[in-house]
Amino acid sequence: MHAVALSKVEKTYFAGQGDVHALGPLSLAIPTGQTLAVVGPSGCGKSTLLRIIAGLDDATGGSVRVADRDVNAPIPDVGIVFQRDLLLDWRNVIDNVMLPAELNKRTDRQTARARAQALLERLGVAEFADRYPWELSGGMRQRVAIARAMLCRPSMLFLDEPFSALDALTRDQMNVILQGVQAGQGVTTLLITHSIQEAVFLSDRVVVMSARPGTVLDDIEVPFPRPRRLSLREDPEFVDIARRIRVHFERAGVLVG
Amino acid sequence: MSADVTQARPLAATAKAAARRRARPGGAVALPLISGIGGLIAWELAVRAMELPPYLLPAPTLVAQVMVEYWGMLMRQLGFTAFAAASGFLIALVLGVVAGAAITASRLVDRMVYPWLVISHAIPKVVVAPLFIVWIGFGLTSEIIFTVVFTFFPIVVNTVTGLKSADLDLLTLVRSMGASPLQSLWKIRIPAALPSIFAGIKISATLAPVGAVIGEFVASNQGLGHMLLQATGSLETPLAFAAVFVISVFGIAIWYLAELVERLSIPWHASQRGTILGA
Repeated sequence: MHAVALSKVEKTYFAGQGDVHALGPLSLAIPTGQTLAVVGPSGCGKSTLLRIIAGLDDATGGSVRVADRDVNAPIPDVGIVFQRDLLLDWRNVIDNVMLPAELNKRTDRQTARARAQALLERLGVAEFADRYPWELSGGMRQRVAIARAMLCRPSMLFLDEPFSALDALTRDQMNVILQGVQAGQGVTTLLITHSIQEAVFLSDRVVVMSARPGTVLDDIEVPFPRPRRLSLREDPEFVDIARRIRVHFERAGVLVG
Repeated sequence: MSADVTQARPLAATAKAAARRRARPGGAVALPLISGIGGLIAWELAVRAMELPPYLLPAPTLVAQVMVEYWGMLMRQLGFTAFAAASGFLIALVLGVVAGAAITASRLVDRMVYPWLVISHAIPKVVVAPLFIVWIGFGLTSEIIFTVVFTFFPIVVNTVTGLKSADLDLLTLVRSMGASPLQSLWKIRIPAALPSIFAGIKISATLAPVGAVIGEFVASNQGLGHMLLQATGSLETPLAFAAVFVISVFGIAIWYLAELVERLSIPWHASQRGTILGA
């Protein structure tokens, strides 16, 4: 069964200085429980794609179905992590994590609080539960954002370049941590990223997008078992998949080397 | 490389010394105190040397004497002024925040009301103060309403600015979590607007005593404004100076009170921040 099914999806921005065809036509399906990474050059419509699937933006063509329903409003049952952690400055860490439970009211407060605490422990930031976001480093803040996204046990997790603002070491660490949080949850994950290594390391499948208007250039299965160690990135098969993606970018002139 | 290191050390030392100087709280109090006392001494000496009559310019020691002599009356009049200022300010605060929220919530209200609000602010309020006597009559009500008019604008403008500057990504995030427009307003827009609203509150809080005093000039027979007018009218300039001094101290106290409320209300804001953990 497919959690997400896109058919000939298109997006055009109508602007005064001329319309911008940003995306598609693009068809894609994400099976339930799969982690799909989407890589592509800047401006190819990756984030637009995520926003369309999440119901935060409308497609101008094609059909978008999530959990067998047409999408025409923000979809429930999804946790989203953006590039910016978007933590609320006026709330401490635990209250930031509790935000989705307060808004959708589907989850009992006490249960949600216990789960928030458990998630913070799993993400290694439980000792900062009473701290404010500005007291935390970038990596810690993004961990809190992940905890917030996972609070209501969403069946889908959307990650829009979640680690691109972090330094390389923290980014590696976050990849391992994210994998740990996903483990055993069966959550369908859509990861938008610029990083080829991150895409291959975290996903079951990588979709390579062309430059604008973004269409699918390649669709690659990533066969490695989980949990994965960072040393996997030196595995010849991993290197081959990364190379295959890189070649697409080189051909498109995005990477020159 | 080595040259960089040798240059960096004195620079770092200078920066540390500068930081120590900035952090030393004594300097922030002592230096203005020294210049203030110096100014008072110069004023006293100038009045004595030029033998200026007290009705023209009283010496600071004479003003102090008058203050002690009329202390009870000054405090009683301050009570009237403070009541008018506080009432007017609180009404302006409620009206300003509600109007700001309405302007932000409705594009129609924004387009119909906001330009007129800006235009009306350009009208010099002191000039229209006498009209309040015609419309409302002589007394406390006129005085309070004049204070409301005087303090309303900074609150409404800062409320609108704060509510309109909410982070769009944050609003998108809570929308994805299923937030209703009311929840977005309550959970995101209002808390995010608080620093801006407090900026307006601080401006208005210091304008409130000014508004009350001007109101007392034209529409009251009590309060420090009225007392000031009476004192200058009868050439009791030392008493006028004493009244001005009390009004000024009251204004400064109001400012610090507003600062304290701000500090307690938005401890998370940049102005209160400390060190970053685990950076």
